[in-house]
This record gives sequence, structure tokens and C-alpha cells, in this order.
Amino acid sequence: MAKKDITRRDFVKAGLLTAAAAGLGTGVLKPTGLWAAEPKIQGPVKVGYQAIMSGTLAGYGEFHRMGAQMAVDEINAAGGIAGVKLEVEFRDSTLKAPEAIKNARYFVDSWGADFLAGVDSSGQALALAPVMAQLDKPLMVTHAATEKLTEVEVFKNGIKQVFRICSPTYQDGNAAAFVAKDLPAKKWATISPKYEYGYTCWSMFKDTLGKLKGDSEFVAESWAPFGTTDFRPHINTILDAKPEGLYSVEWAGELITMIKQASEAGLFKSVKHVMLPVGAAMDVLEGLGEAMPDGLWISGRYFFMYPDTPKNTEWVNAFHKRWNHYPAYVSETGYSTMFAFKKAVEAAGSKESKAVIQALEGMELDSPAGKRVFRKEDHQAMYSVPWGLTASNPKYPFKVMGKTVVITPEQCFNRPPFEGEGTKPPFKS
Amino acid sequence: MLESLVHVCLTGLAQGMFVWLVACGLTLIFGVLRVLNFAHGAFYMLGAYFCFSFLSWFGDNFWLGLIIGPLCVCAIGFLMERFFLRYVYHLDLPYQLLLTFAFVLIFDDLVKMAWGAGSLGSPKVPGLSGSVPILGRNFPTYSLFIMGAGPLVALALWAALEKTWAGRIIRAASSDREMASAIGVRVPALYTGVFVFGTWLGALGGGLAVPYVGLLTPGMGESIIIEAFVVVVIGGLGSLKGAFLGSLVLGLLSSFGTRFIPAFDMFLTFILMAVVLLWRPEGFFGEAS
Repeated sequence: MAKKDITRRDFVKAGLLTAAAAGLGTGVLKPTGLWAAEPKIQGPVKVGYQAIMSGTLAGYGEFHRMGAQMAVDEINAAGGIAGVKLEVEFRDSTLKAPEAIKNARYFVDSWGADFLAGVDSSGQALALAPVMAQLDKPLMVTHAATEKLTEVEVFKNGIKQVFRICSPTYQDGNAAAFVAKDLPAKKWATISPKYEYGYTCWSMFKDTLGKLKGDSEFVAESWAPFGTTDFRPHINTILDAKPEGLYSVEWAGELITMIKQASEAGLFKSVKHVMLPVGAAMDVLEGLGEAMPDGLWISGRYFFMYPDTPKNTEWVNAFHKRWNHYPAYVSETGYSTMFAFKKAVEAAGSKESKAVIQALEGMELDSPAGKRVFRKEDHQAMYSVPWGLTASNPKYPFKVMGKTVVITPEQCFNRPPFEGEGTKPPFKS
Repeated sequence: MLESLVHVCLTGLAQGMFVWLVACGLTLIFGVLRVLNFAHGAFYMLGAYFCFSFLSWFGDNFWLGLIIGPLCVCAIGFLMERFFLRYVYHLDLPYQLLLTFAFVLIFDDLVKMAWGAGSLGSPKVPGLSGSVPILGRNFPTYSLFIMGAGPLVALALWAALEKTWAGRIIRAASSDREMASAIGVRVPALYTGVFVFGTWLGALGGGLAVPYVGLLTPGMGESIIIEAFVVVVIGGLGSLKGAFLGSLVLGLLSSFGTRFIPAFDMFLTFILMAVVLLWRPEGFFGEAS
């Protein structure tokens, strides 16, 4: 094969093309709006994203990445953030707090991140909060749910750098109680994770349901350590207590395992009302397929069939087309996080932490999950996620929500100052 | 109350037998090769994934998958012993642990590349997926099957080691490697054989775990390997009957612990290990050194 030399003509052509592209580029990317007068934003906007990418929960990291990556590609294709490119780097959080802190320091100190995002576990989020104050960069939490992050770290301790785009434990504890109060069940029991998240959800559920329905009884609790693969001893505990309702914030693979083992043991035959606050996660629904029993109450931080808006439908379709999966809730929160940063930076006309934090406070964001408002006091995003009963649907190869109930954030989110009378549901107004 | 006790007991027995099915390969490899194989959990995981895949290819025939799946993992075990492990036999224990742990990470990532990072739900096993009523409460049929399979494997291993010619050679090589070599036993080939057989046992445990755990995830070997290590240590390193007894104790303790003293269920296993090691540092049936 003869080597093809670059001829003079090719060279001229290439030169012309480059010149044309350069001219076109400046034309297309011409700054408009606020920052046109004095471009304050230098270089790319860099977001350091950490999620669990190893071990048994590695699937979650993949779903985070799919959502966030889609947003990055869309934003950059449409001209970036305020005319500059958006860059994201992903790191494995390993679910351990020291690793989360190490990642945050790496992102800010070595990689030059402007913003941080991600974080799966509540323990990690609580450990990161004081570090974020030190590093003084905004962190958008996309998965960790403990209410203490926003109530204590942001509101009480004044760590303004931390925001949360996903719904917190209010959805798991309080909203569940609103659904449970209308069910013909008085005796409740739980199998939940033996760590902060499990304890906080169950105590919130008990408190709120106790207030909404005075004769509720809570007859058994069985706490499963992280990594449990055999739930049968826990199922024995529940069967012995003979409750009418089972509440469980088991999640991901452990929830799949628990449901399968509970089905085998006939638990769903004797306990008629089952509430799974994170049962509407896609990994659970896809993982169980037909093995998911009908008629269990499930919810999540987002469910792809809700809200029924063109924006959501369009996004779900685009997501499915690109990744051949329906979006998990961490995909939606990862995706929307990038647009939240975009909107805040463009509104602030700067990527400086102080200005962006100010812009994020009280900001409204139109997202696939519907309209979100970042509450000024505690930086918690307010938006609705439905609770629904599992049912088959010929359109999907897994169970989805049939009948749904929506408890709005105004009804079920704790309110600042979070202490004393009238700060926890039920509210009078 | 009686029904509850019986079920807690049965659950514990099934749990114990399940751990035994994984631990027997680990203790066999240690007993003969004197290698603590950290990658045993990875073989368990690979066994589960291979069985799962064959199961879906052969139209949900679980038993066919269970025969072919572990054989594929044996091939991997063979390559690992022949080209890597063989070169660290004479080195200190930390080198062996490092090498086998490296394989854990490699296999985890390979599984992620081949099957995806998400979890896979397992299909039902025809005939064994239901439950049978015992004292008015349902008990999973598959757990009964595991409770039967455990002692069967134990019996087969005992017979193979005690009653066959190959078993006698293995015992000879494990008690004195140089002497066995001197009287003409091809020790390297024997080591490869035992390692591959131990791999097969681990992968078989993984295949049997598919319906028992109900879920496959990359890294699924990590939790089981810790339990397997515990029973191997309390049973006495390298002792098969020790591992069998250790598994039973561990399963029952875990089941009763979760039901009756839930506050301590996370440490019970390790308290058991600590107590056994204080009382008998060599384990139930270990050789005092």
C-alpha cells in the first residue's frame, strides 16, 4: 500500500476548514445575556462526582453515571454552562466515610473541582458536611437521605455548602405513614437495615403514624446488618410477632433477596400490608421481574412513570434509547444536578461558591421529576414522589406502580426550625 | 413457641449447611496446599454467574447449569494454579494472600465487564421453588434441599479421602510433602488437581447459592468468604470435619442470635471465633503446632 502523502491542496483545504470552523465557533458560542458584558467565568466548570462503583452495589454507581453523563453531553452540545464547557469526573466512593472525604479533597485540591456531587450513604454525607465547609465548595447530594444532613448540618450548624436534590427520609418515614393511616392495619413490624438510615426511617414512620392514627401498635423490629444475604432469621422474627403490616427500608440487592425469601416463607400471605419506601428503585423492579408480588406499596426518590409530563416522557425515552434501561432514581438526581448547577451558575454569572450558593437558595428547577424548589433554610429540594401499589403492566417486563397516591412535600416534609411543636407532620395548614 | 423454635432451628441448619458447601473447598485447599485462598469467594461468585448464564441458555434447566457452570470455573482455577499460585508456594503467607486477593479484584471487575455491574435476579428452580408447611408455617423447599446436599457432600468427601487410593495419596502429600515426593508422588500435579477440585467445590457452592440467595452481584463472594474463613478457623485449618461442625455451630448461632439476642447478632460469629481460639487455638480438630 502506498502511503498517502498530504498534498499542498489538502493542506490548504485543512487550513480553510479550520478557519471556517473558528469563525463559526465564535459566532455560535457568542456570549449572550448576563455574562456577555464582563465574562467572569474562566475555563471549564468542573464537577467532581462520587458514587458507589465497586462491590455489590456497583450497579448504583452505573446508574448515577448514566444520568450525569447524559446531562453533561446535552449541556455541552447546547453550548455548555454560560459559554464554557462542563467537565465531570467520577470516582468510586466505596460507601466508606474516609474514602468520601479523600475523594472530596482530591476533587477540590488536586483536580480543581468547582462543585461536588453524588454521595450514596447517610454516614458519608454527614462526615462530608464539615469538610465541605472547610473546602468551601457546593456539594449536591443525589442519594444519601438522612434528614440530619439538612436539618442539623445545614440549618442548625450553618453549613451552607451542602444541598440535596433527592427526597430525604421524609418520603420514607412521614409519607409512608400518611399512606399507612388509610390501610386496615394496626399492628406494624419492620425488617430494616441495621444502621442510621434504617433506624431514622422507622422512628419517623412510628412517630407520624402514631400521631395520625392513635391506635397503631409497633410489635417487632428486626435489624439486618449491611450485606445480609439470608433474611430467613429476620423473617422468623416477623412471623412470630404476627403483624398486619410490614414496613421495610431494605434497599437494592438486599431488598430483592428479602422479598424472594419472604415470598418463599409465605410472609406476604400472612402480612397483607407491606410498605417498601425504596421498593420503586429500578434495580429492584428489574431484578425481581415477575417475582415481585402484586399489591405491595413502593416508593423511591423518583419513579420514571411520574410525573406524566412531556419533559419527563421525553427524558425517559431518550434515556432508554441511549442506555437500554429505564432511569433509576439516582440517574434522575444525577442528571438534574448538572442542570441545577448550570442554572445557578448562569443566574449568578459566576462559578464562585458564594454566588452559586446564593443562586441555589430558593431556586426553582424544572426537571424530569417535576418542579423542584431548593428550600432556602435547609437547602432541601422540595418535589413530589408518588407511592404506588405494585402491579403488572403489559408495556414493561417488570412490575410497576398501579394505583398511586401522592403525598406532597408540603404535607410530609419536616419544617424549619425542625424542633418543637408544629415542625413535624401532621400540620394544621 | 414450639413452631417458632423449630423454624429458627431449621433456618440455622440450612444456613450452616450453605456455609459448609463453600467452606469445604477452602479448607481442603488449605489442608493440602497450605495456601489460604482468598480468591475462593471469587470462585463462588464465578460459579454463581456461570450457572446463571447456562441456566438461561439451556431454557431454565438448573441442574444442567449446575453441572457445566462449575466445570468452567475449574478451568479458571487450573490456569490460576498452574501459572501463578505455583510460584508462591515457597513464599510467606502474606505473598499468597496478596496474590489471591489480587485475583479477587480482577475477577470482580471481569464479572462487572461480562455481566454488568447491576444485580441479577435468579429464576426459580422447578420443583424446589415452593415451600412445605412444617408445624403450620411454610419452610422453603430449597432450604431443605441445601440441608440434604451439605451432609451428602461431606460424606462424599470423607469417602473420597479415606477410602480411595487417590485420597490416600492426597493425605500422604498433605502430611509430608518431601516424603511423598521422594516415594514418587508427582506433588506439583497433585497440587494442581486438589486446587482445581477445591475450585470446583467453591463454584458448586456458588451455583447452589443462585436460588438460595436469590440474587447475583459482583462482589457477592466477599460476605460468604468471611463466614467460610470463620468456620475453617474454628474447625481447625485444613480439617474437613472441623469445618462441618463449625458451619453447623455458626448457622445455628446466627439464626438463634438474630431471633433472640438481635442486639449482638453482628458480633456473635466473631465472639464465637474468639472464644474458640482462646480455648483451643488450633480449632476443633486442628493439629496443635
